[in-house]
Amino acid sequence: MLTKFETKSNRVKGLSFHPRRPWILASLHSGVIQMWDYRMGTLLDRFDEHDGPVRGVHFHATQPLFVSGGDDYKIKVWNYKTHRCLFTLHGHLDYIRTVQFHHEYPWIVSASDDQTIRIWNWQSRTCVAVLTGHNHYVMCASFHPKEDLVVSASLDQTVRVWDIGALRKKTVSPADDILRLTQMNTDLFGGIDAVVKYVLEGHDRGVNWASFHPSLPLIVSGADDRQVKLWRMNDTKAWEVDTLRGHMNNVSCVMFHAKQDIIVSNSEDKSIRIWDATKRTGIQTFRREHDRFWILAAHPEMNLLAAGHDSGMIVFKLERERPAFCVSGDTVFYVKDRFLRYFEYSTQKEVQVAPIRRPGSVSLNQSPRTLSYSPTENAVLICSDVDGGSYELYIVPKDSAGRSDYLQEAKKGAGGSAVFVARNRFAVLEKSSNQVLVKNLKNEIVKKSPLPIATDAIYYAGTGNLLCKAEDRVTIFDLQQRLVLGELFRPLLLNMLFWSSDMESVALLSKHAVVIANKKLVHRCTLHETIRVKSGAWDENGVFIYTTLNHMKYCLPNGDSGIIKTLDVPIYITRVIGNNIFCLDRDGKNKLVTVDASEYIFKLALLRKRYDHVMSMIKNSQLCGQAVISYLQQKGFPEVALHFVKDEKTRFNLALESGNIQIAVASAKEIDDKDHWYRLGIEALRQGNVGIVEYAYQRTKNFERLAFLYLITGYLDKVGFMCKIAGQNNNLMGQFHNALYLGDARKRAEILENAGQLPLAYVTAATHGLTETAERLAAELGENVPSLPEGKSHSLLMPPAPLMACGDWPLLRVMRGIFEGGLDATGRAELEEDAAAAGADWGDEDLDIVDASEVVANGGDGFDAEEVEPNEEDGEGGWDLEDLELPPETETPKGCQQCSLCCICCAYTRHACQPNLDSEIFSGWGACSSREL
Amino acid sequence: MKSMASSPPDQLFGLRNSFYVGAYQAAITSSQSLPAHDLSPDDLLERDALLYRSYLAIGSHQLVVNEIGPSAATPLQAVKLLAVYLSGDAANKESVVSRLQELLGDPAVGSNTILRLVAGTVFMHERDYAEALKHTSSGGTMELLALNVQIYLHMNRADHAEKQLRVMQQLDEDHTLTQLANAWVDLAMGGSKIQEAHLIFQDLSDKYPTTCMILNGKALCSIHMGNFQEAEALLLESLNKDAKDAETLANLTVCSLNLGKPATRYLNELKLSHPDHMLVKRMSSAEDLFDRACQAMA
Repeated sequence: MLTKFETKSNRVKGLSFHPRRPWILASLHSGVIQMWDYRMGTLLDRFDEHDGPVRGVHFHATQPLFVSGGDDYKIKVWNYKTHRCLFTLHGHLDYIRTVQFHHEYPWIVSASDDQTIRIWNWQSRTCVAVLTGHNHYVMCASFHPKEDLVVSASLDQTVRVWDIGALRKKTVSPADDILRLTQMNTDLFGGIDAVVKYVLEGHDRGVNWASFHPSLPLIVSGADDRQVKLWRMNDTKAWEVDTLRGHMNNVSCVMFHAKQDIIVSNSEDKSIRIWDATKRTGIQTFRREHDRFWILAAHPEMNLLAAGHDSGMIVFKLERERPAFCVSGDTVFYVKDRFLRYFEYSTQKEVQVAPIRRPGSVSLNQSPRTLSYSPTENAVLICSDVDGGSYELYIVPKDSAGRSDYLQEAKKGAGGSAVFVARNRFAVLEKSSNQVLVKNLKNEIVKKSPLPIATDAIYYAGTGNLLCKAEDRVTIFDLQQRLVLGELFRPLLLNMLFWSSDMESVALLSKHAVVIANKKLVHRCTLHETIRVKSGAWDENGVFIYTTLNHMKYCLPNGDSGIIKTLDVPIYITRVIGNNIFCLDRDGKNKLVTVDASEYIFKLALLRKRYDHVMSMIKNSQLCGQAVISYLQQKGFPEVALHFVKDEKTRFNLALESGNIQIAVASAKEIDDKDHWYRLGIEALRQGNVGIVEYAYQRTKNFERLAFLYLITGYLDKVGFMCKIAGQNNNLMGQFHNALYLGDARKRAEILENAGQLPLAYVTAATHGLTETAERLAAELGENVPSLPEGKSHSLLMPPAPLMACGDWPLLRVMRGIFEGGLDATGRAELEEDAAAAGADWGDEDLDIVDASEVVANGGDGFDAEEVEPNEEDGEGGWDLEDLELPPETETPKGCQQCSLCCICCAYTRHACQPNLDSEIFSGWGACSSREL
Repeated sequence: MKSMASSPPDQLFGLRNSFYVGAYQAAITSSQSLPAHDLSPDDLLERDALLYRSYLAIGSHQLVVNEIGPSAATPLQAVKLLAVYLSGDAANKESVVSRLQELLGDPAVGSNTILRLVAGTVFMHERDYAEALKHTSSGGTMELLALNVQIYLHMNRADHAEKQLRVMQQLDEDHTLTQLANAWVDLAMGGSKIQEAHLIFQDLSDKYPTTCMILNGKALCSIHMGNFQEAEALLLESLNKDAKDAETLANLTVCSLNLGKPATRYLNELKLSHPDHMLVKRMSSAEDLFDRACQAMA
């Protein structure tokens, strides 16, 4: 028994699998109904409206519904999507034991301790039939999967089969004459819609369960007489076929297995028993220590069973479903049914090679577990759990392919696992003595070699080498030298391992983890999965592709992983060739899945620093999505991410992160909000790109910062202009600050005077020897002339002249990294695309900005008015000049004024201060609103 | 069988195998990296013998002669004799042979396996196969058995060689020398056995770094199977590894002739670097015969 999932809870009395989703309903003795995801192992929902134990529960085959019946005599129909009980069916007069939906009609059948079976129409919400006849509690009732039959089991020691053909006819053609008659009959005799067809007598005690065979006319029942009985029926009669004895206490539930010829039963003797349905012998018994079993359920599609017991439930399957396979060159060898077959990848042809010994049905899980193939000798080793672990060796004659009649007598032997270690040698693990026997193709022992560690299983690890798995580690062991070549201490329950084609890397797969190591077993990375890892294979680039129960994923050599696609059913990857992933499904069919490999190929290229590949992928493929962007950011390639992103805010952030100031400027223009300009300013300042800092401050009208920036960069004339603007905005403090920066005492006195601070103005004037002004002010002040401190000399405080005046500071070297130049072209092309969508005008502008700022970034000097143009074009240069209205009688020297105006009208003002350019720019500015320089 | 029970790991394993498959430089390097204190005196002696034999194989005869002093143990003395023999002229060779006879006659050292191995080798070079077999046929080590196989093959007695091979296979079928001997015998037998030989060389090249010896082996199989193209590719690969390897040159000559390509350069090279190679000798004797025949006809 392979347990897949277990829960701990109150006693579980009812179970039902969802037909498609990995869900199971468990109804508890406490009155709660739980819905579990048995794959993820999570409790999805609980429904708690029944009063007292809930014994029956069942999912609808297609609708999002389930039905439950409990000791409160109520049948409830629920919608699990809306988490609501839709309605309650009343009618039973005692505990309800089981409920079941009909697979086709809107019916529910219920069995109750009131000795009746009722059939309900859940659409009209009425009881459509009452089946009377049992004279004790009815313990179970269920529809036949295909025919119009119901089988029921009762404590009156009988199993009854009911014919509900009439009911179906009535449902299909309700207007039939029979209706009236039936109505009358129902009133008189309890109805003829459902009549007893057979009464099966044979059990000596109450019968707890009876169920139909899914396809054959068979019934199996289990009773308090501790027996399981098998019944057969034909059109006219039904009879007992056989009795299965073995349970030590009341048999609580019994059913046929849908896919195998076996019967599963469970009992209050704390065991689940598996019986061979043909030979009618017990195959296997699973016991629990303390818990009596109450209920069984089988998945309608998959090979899963569930059993409820005193303290929870278990979901399990009886046999492994992973087909044994082995990849060699262009072919994969695998076992399907009782044939050894191979599949050729290049031709996609399947060939049946040879029949293998049929696994005896004596016991479960005897099918081949692993395969090992020697291509030169065309020999196959098949290992299975038969007789506690054994192998069979088949040597396939080259020409026998396709001749399936050829049955070869296999060479057999006992051993935990067997694997080819050389062309004509295979190693067999002898667990009892912890040694390997090296045998030749005649199955003769050539050599014995003790193993260095207590080994559970052996795997191929290159010619002459074995990988041995122990509880706490795996080692690679050289059989000839008897030397440990590599060891990995990691307690992993190794299930499978896959070597890369160059034998340099190995992937070790356990239940919930993937470990990648090199050929000396030096650990590279470990990935943990919350659900089961199923299979894997290396692609030719060194990416490991693996599947879990529901995903196909990749693992890069550095341990980065991601999902390639979602899977509906588990598959077993055999080979990866480019985008094509070959796999086997549980039925042993070869399938080809084509996937989009661009994401992991892209990441691999980044990882391997194959930037040319990265480039071409960026240019050609459709990579996008937040995942790739954040991956690039996380891996330190914001500049690469920049080229995927269309969203301006993200672009801006990425540009700042990668120091790509020109893209940041372009984005900031698009976004145009204060915060982004401010951040742009900070970054530009960090890089020393004064022009952009200035532009950013201008855009946010951050005059104080701007003035200070002018001061420290030596644009004193612009400070003067800032002073004027401050005056215009009635920002006295700003005006005064600027005057201080300039060291202009006259201006200060004037400002103070204009502000009405006459004494201060006087003091300023007097101190700095502006006698004219001082006298005038003294006159105005009259009596209130402040006295100046005597005997102290004064000096004008002048800000120190900046070392690097008028121009960018030395630019911080921004690491443009690998994509220097290369991506610029791409970037521009992308901008062009954007522009094409947005309109030609914008396009030009964007391009200009990029060009211009490229020059800035490169520290070039060839900056002329043309490049500065676009801001004027969109009419939002620095700030609105119209508001400014400079007074004509300004005291600033004329040249300086021109200069200042230019700096404002131009986005990048650096050159405006160069005297030789002044006039040209000024004249240009005159026509700025319309020109197209 | 040596490899039974839990004897300690075989320290010389790698060195020995490198020597067997013809990876002489690798053998020299690995012998120097072996920790001397871990080895028993016997192992040490074997290591040194293998080391000097590797030097001999790459043609450093004089180095061996110089390094082995008069006080060295018998096996090393034997190797020194071999070095002298291989480097020397006719007179030296004679003295080596007589010295060998002397040592072999000495009951104290006469049965030493390496001495007997050297004796076998020398007598084989002397083409005194009966004498060689006298010393080697009693066996004792895999190497002696392998030498027996070689001697029988030289005598064109593949049947006896096969018997020796059976003995080797019974001792240790997976031993590298057994594998090699198997391949030699298969090559000598020809026919369907060639496939087997090819697989053996293939296995060896999978397991060990490819050497001239293995490449030549593979090429020979290809030639036997008529795949001259493939053989040429293999031989050229071998030539890249060692431009002066006699076997490679000889085989290339043959291969080129069969492909209808000019082979004179390979032949001249062979004549220059290995004037006493079998192929050269046979060529010159054939030429002599031809000249004589011409004169007779003239």
